Amino acid sequence: MSIALLGINHRSAPLSIRERLSISCGEEEKPFEELKKIPQIGEALYLSTCNRVEVLVNMNDAEAGVKGLKAFITAHGNLSPGEMGKCLYVYRDEEAVRHLFRVTSSLDSMVMGEPQILGQVKDAYRLCVKQKASGVILNKLLHHAFRVAKRVRTETAIANNAVSVGFAAVALAKKIFGALDGKRVLIVGAGEMAELAARHLMDGGVGRMIFTNRTYENAVRLANDFHGIPVEFELLDEQLGDVDIVISSTGSPDCIISEDMIAGALRRRKNRLLFLIDVAVPRDIDPAAGEIDNVYLYNVDDLQGIVDQNTQGRLEEAHKAQVIIDAEVEKFAGWYATLDVVPTIVDLKGKAEEIVKGEMEKSHSWMKNMGEEERGNIEVLVNSVVNKILHDPVVGLKKESRNGGADPYVAAIKKLFRLK
Amino acid sequence: MELIFFRIALVAYLVSTVGYIASLFAGRVRVAKASMWVLALAFALHTVHIVMQWIGTASIPSASIYGSLSFIAWAVAGSYLAFQTKTKTQILGAFVSPAVVVMMIAASAGLMDEPPIPAALSGPLVSFHIVLLLIGGAFFALACLAGIMYLVQDNLIRGKRVRGLSRLLPSLQDLDRINHLCTIWGFPLLTFGIIAGSIWARTVWGNNWQWDPKQVFTAVSWALYAAVVHQRIAIGWKGRKAALLSIIAFAGFLFAFIGVNAFFVTMHRF
Repeated sequence: MSIALLGINHRSAPLSIRERLSISCGEEEKPFEELKKIPQIGEALYLSTCNRVEVLVNMNDAEAGVKGLKAFITAHGNLSPGEMGKCLYVYRDEEAVRHLFRVTSSLDSMVMGEPQILGQVKDAYRLCVKQKASGVILNKLLHHAFRVAKRVRTETAIANNAVSVGFAAVALAKKIFGALDGKRVLIVGAGEMAELAARHLMDGGVGRMIFTNRTYENAVRLANDFHGIPVEFELLDEQLGDVDIVISSTGSPDCIISEDMIAGALRRRKNRLLFLIDVAVPRDIDPAAGEIDNVYLYNVDDLQGIVDQNTQGRLEEAHKAQVIIDAEVEKFAGWYATLDVVPTIVDLKGKAEEIVKGEMEKSHSWMKNMGEEERGNIEVLVNSVVNKILHDPVVGLKKESRNGGADPYVAAIKKLFRLK
Repeated sequence: MELIFFRIALVAYLVSTVGYIASLFAGRVRVAKASMWVLALAFALHTVHIVMQWIGTASIPSASIYGSLSFIAWAVAGSYLAFQTKTKTQILGAFVSPAVVVMMIAASAGLMDEPPIPAALSGPLVSFHIVLLLIGGAFFALACLAGIMYLVQDNLIRGKRVRGLSRLLPSLQDLDRINHLCTIWGFPLLTFGIIAGSIWARTVWGNNWQWDPKQVFTAVSWALYAAVVHQRIAIGWKGRKAALLSIIAFAGFLFAFIGVNAFFVTMHRF
């Protein structure tokens, strides 16, 4: 029996190739049907996200199984054998476990520490269970992977800091306002960064989102996308007093929001805190506005600076995470290694139980004159003796299997005890 | 007998402090929550101690400096716990509980022998006067602490240094809210405490005001807090300015409470 993991990810293959593989396996049940057809595969998990396509299997004949899988992937992804050779990675046994733990803990993601991958792996596992494609090994392995991901997330700071401008904006907003619900956001202008920040704020749970633009139609379009409200550009100054967060991203060469406008807005807001995010180049908001009490102004460089600070931090945390993962891989390997002796131990104990049962029945005749309690005591005594005798061989078997040399002992025990 | 409760409370405060500081480093909220429960337990035990002393001597244990320290520690712990339910900021615990422990340790130095209470300082009205002022002071202390944390966090955010300490501190809005609520709760307590004191002064010394240094400085401190309350409610001060003023006001309060005894001769001898 062995475990293998094959796949391609954003580092090994360009998007065009990943697309082909994941599209052709688009329908949910299809990959499992195909995978089940490969005879050597006992259990299989199929994971497909925008950045990776991987197959994790437990198979009983390693070489043939990997060959079958490669054929499956090539056929499914419409890949040429050449392309596949360049992009596909194959991990076996411990390395497969290590890779799975890394992926689930988000160490292999494009943005290290991102939270989505854990959910994606859980969904893939749920589907796998639904398709009855998982068994003892994959069940244990996946649950272990989820625990490892949780350890990594709680014991390292890998998930703590933002690595995109959008994340940074939300993290800052939370630092200023605490909870974001009920907070109102004004988005001035349009543009990728503004929309990204807006989307992150929406995900962060803000209340109303208001859109304004020199071209009213653009404001309407964005408002529809975000379920927000469009407002005419002339009303910009008025809106400033009503919102808590302003994201500005117009193409204007001059500042469209002056220090006086902010000072006035603050008075109207009775000095409630105001967070201004200026992602425009050249800047939309007068930098002097940032000096006003209770106003916090961040421009594109400031946000990028936070992102950069955090990327370095993530690398340090990734190292810590790797240490945790290595330890957990060993734990899993230890469990996995004892698997080959488990059936033998079960058989051995089973045989002992049968013997005890047989002898107890045979002694029925002279025991029936004894009281319940005495009979019970004898049974306890007999079982205790048997367990103690078997204890050393069982423990010894497990120990040998952890050291990797259990086979001769298993063979010996099977022979000597005449187990099946 | 009641000293047992004091001692166990002290130990529990200590455990809770260790827990809070550990939670800061480990970054885990569960440890902070557990520490809060330990703090609550310590507070309950401390309450038992104070109640027993009160029943025993018919006055609250604050005639001496040691008794006062114990009582202030109790008040600070109590106000912090009351806060916990409102704003869910566990982090303040890491600052409050060490302060409580320090006060308790200082108090334990002399709790055994309570000096005889002079005639002018015994009676229910005096107890009322002292209790109100101490609890008010505890609230003001919390407000000052929140104000300091606000200024630190404000500085960090403006300076774009948001990685280390800034992550541990609560959000600006939460800190401002704590500062606001504590000041609003503390101010009436201070007011009634002063009034109770002046009514008692009339019964003991004949008139409401003796121009005693402590009275004068407490009045100054009252005026400062009145200004804070006014600026917050009427003018709508929030954030930085309010934080600064509440720190200044608390400095005034501390001076009136402790500093005066060092520099002036006063009737309010401990």
